[in-house]
Amino acid sequence: MTGGTIWKGSIHFGDEHLPVKLHGAVKEERIQFHLLHRRDGVKLHQQMICNYEKMPVPADAQIRGVEIEEGKYVIVEHGELEQMTPEASRLIEIHEFVTTSQIDPLLLDHVYYLEPDSDLVSGSYTALAEALQEMSLSGICTWTMRKRSYHGALQAWGKVLRLSTLRYADEVIGASSLGLEEIPLSERELQIGSDLIRQMAAPFQPEKFINEHQQKLQQLIERKARGEKIALLRPRILTPTSADKLLEALEASLKKAA
Amino acid sequence: MSRRVVDLEGKSLSLTNLEKVLYPDCGFTKAHVLEYYRRMGPFILPHLQGRSLTLKRYPQGVTGEFFFEKRCPVHRPPWVQTAEIHRSGGETMTACLVNDLPTLLWVANLASLELHVPLARAGSPGTADAMVFDLDPGEEATILDCARVALILRELLSRLGLASVLKTSGQKGLHVFVPLNRGETTFGDTKRFSRAVAMILEKNYPELVTAKMAKSSRTGRVFINWSQNDGSLTMVCAYSLRARNKPYVSCPLEWRELELLAGRGDPEGFLVLPEEAIARVEAKGDLFREVLERTQHLPHL
Amino acid sequence: MQGIWSGTISFSLVAIPVRLVKAVAPGRISFRLLHGTDYAPLARKMVCPEEQDIVPPEEIIRGYELGPDHYLPITAEELASVSPERSRTIEIVEFIDMAEVDPVYLDHPYYLVPLKGGEKAYSLLAEIMRRTNRAGLAKFVLAEREYLVAVKSEQGALALVTLHYREEILPADDIAPKNGTVDEEEKGRMQRTMEAMRAEFRPERYADERREKLLELLRTKRENATVTAPVPGDEEGEGPADLVAALEEIMAEVKRKQ
Repeated sequence: MTGGTIWKGSIHFGDEHLPVKLHGAVKEERIQFHLLHRRDGVKLHQQMICNYEKMPVPADAQIRGVEIEEGKYVIVEHGELEQMTPEASRLIEIHEFVTTSQIDPLLLDHVYYLEPDSDLVSGSYTALAEALQEMSLSGICTWTMRKRSYHGALQAWGKVLRLSTLRYADEVIGASSLGLEEIPLSERELQIGSDLIRQMAAPFQPEKFINEHQQKLQQLIERKARGEKIALLRPRILTPTSADKLLEALEASLKKAA
Repeated sequence: MSRRVVDLEGKSLSLTNLEKVLYPDCGFTKAHVLEYYRRMGPFILPHLQGRSLTLKRYPQGVTGEFFFEKRCPVHRPPWVQTAEIHRSGGETMTACLVNDLPTLLWVANLASLELHVPLARAGSPGTADAMVFDLDPGEEATILDCARVALILRELLSRLGLASVLKTSGQKGLHVFVPLNRGETTFGDTKRFSRAVAMILEKNYPELVTAKMAKSSRTGRVFINWSQNDGSLTMVCAYSLRARNKPYVSCPLEWRELELLAGRGDPEGFLVLPEEAIARVEAKGDLFREVLERTQHLPHL
Repeated sequence: MQGIWSGTISFSLVAIPVRLVKAVAPGRISFRLLHGTDYAPLARKMVCPEEQDIVPPEEIIRGYELGPDHYLPITAEELASVSPERSRTIEIVEFIDMAEVDPVYLDHPYYLVPLKGGEKAYSLLAEIMRRTNRAGLAKFVLAEREYLVAVKSEQGALALVTLHYREEILPADDIAPKNGTVDEEEKGRMQRTMEAMRAEFRPERYADERREKLLELLRTKRENATVTAPVPGDEEGEGPADLVAALEEIMAEVKRKQ
């Protein structure tokens, strides 16, 4: 069963209006840890502390500013921030359609499933899903949800329409800024390496992977709660493959995989 | 994207995007910025040398996004000199030192229009080389009010036996520098001293001066920002450009010039553009030289 | 670039020392929270409610809630012991085709940066994955969580994306309409509109618009709404007695002259 309806909106482009309900697509199950004071085991609270008075500051005494000179800020009032976002409306406004493969996966953030808001629009919903799939297009759109403006992509996967929020281009670090050097590689190394990948290729079957760590962590907690002593195991550390041993390691790997 | 490789003092430097307009109001391009700093080189370098630089970069020009950079950009030519700086929190950081002309132009090429440096040198971070009075006009006050305050301040300092040097901020204010250049002078000393001076001025000229941070107390008055006397803060360097609608320069002035400008009552007269700044240094030399050379001692501490 | 984790990434017998760094950063113009009364910047800190004081990082440990107000402390070493083979090693077990990965599985992106000595093996892995158009699938443990990750080639660098587990993806079976009969004319109309609204995807455009609005706001407010944050060390009182006395005397003289 999917999660409850998070929001309701209406997809709009051209003359088309399609009312939809948004559902979350992911439910994370994690063992939650709290942060404690080592000395007395008391649970800690996270607070915003004033740099100057060194005292906690409640939410109603907090304001936002942008640093324009060192130590100097322009205050942006709450109302002004809202004015920058468009009027609250229920429209998921599509501005353009782009070929889905043009969207760099690094930009995709959260995924919501969309459900038709009434049976009357089931046909239109299916038509849109089929149209997007057949043409391999995604609709780039903006909408306002709970006073924040979002920008995302309307996509079809199977028979389901989804809305994925997109990160802004200036929030994603490009690989070029990592400052990596170009290292020359021999054709033989590249050949063997490619063969190795082909040997180790498999279809994507996510159901194969379960969160084993979660189970082991649960066991650790139970044992510790019972007062058992926990044996500390050293983490496994591998010896890095040096540049001159790389070809040898690749050849041995290929032999092993075959 | 245009690109030129120049050879300067035996160092090879790649200059890029030369025709990019960084100040749209007057068509001042990256090439103009580089040319300005090249010609200003001999006059601005002594004020930058040995000091960790805070870059203020405007890659899209003054109407676009800007960012401060205290760390020296990782991708730099091998001849750019750096210093390891200790920050609060115990971490160290690598900062750029603009010790020569090629480094100055490299930094300008990164569209760091404004150059900000601390009052201490990287090798002696606890020593305040100068004491500064940052005169900042509040709402409805102008640079003319700052000029009045500067003149009173100069009189006061002079009676304490201290010579002072003046420059425009390149925006709406003035900076009064008191050269010290003694290894024993700390920021604790300069902060206490300047605060006491600011407070006495506020007490005696309450409609003109305020020594308090709070915005409400600043309307119509000149704020003497004495807290700039701090090892962790920076001031815009003499002769640096500012990123306002036009490339105004933080320009040293003679006291005599200040008196004339104040008498004329013309705030625009304080705004100096690059061509004029260059003409001034070529005619009068570095009016700010004294800040680096004169040794003075703060009395009554 | 702050490091979050460092260790080795391996595939078969090849091991590469790497460091994990973020791929997503907040946009350059970011808001800072300030104290409304004195404009001092605020910092997020952990506070002990018993002692009413800020707790430094070395005195903070994780704890699991066994019951109300009853926490079981767990040390970092104990956590690392749970899956020792995976806390310092990302072992690629197979290579998949990213096109098979439903975007709903994608969680958070990072980059791997080679550590000294690993540059050649790193470049090789990036290049052979690019050539074969495959990504490596692995599991690894970071702090108290075990992640399923995909390691992909991204412009000569290795990008790492954490994935959700299958059990965390909510099913979408009930979402799509079961009996949506499609009106072919409606679908045709949609497709014509989509074609007319087709464009090249330029993500910078959306980032630029948002940034422009903020810059415009800052420009208009700069003159009147700039505040200076106070500096710690502001004291009360007039200052050193001798100095104040000398200043008062001088001030009196100056005023007499005027």
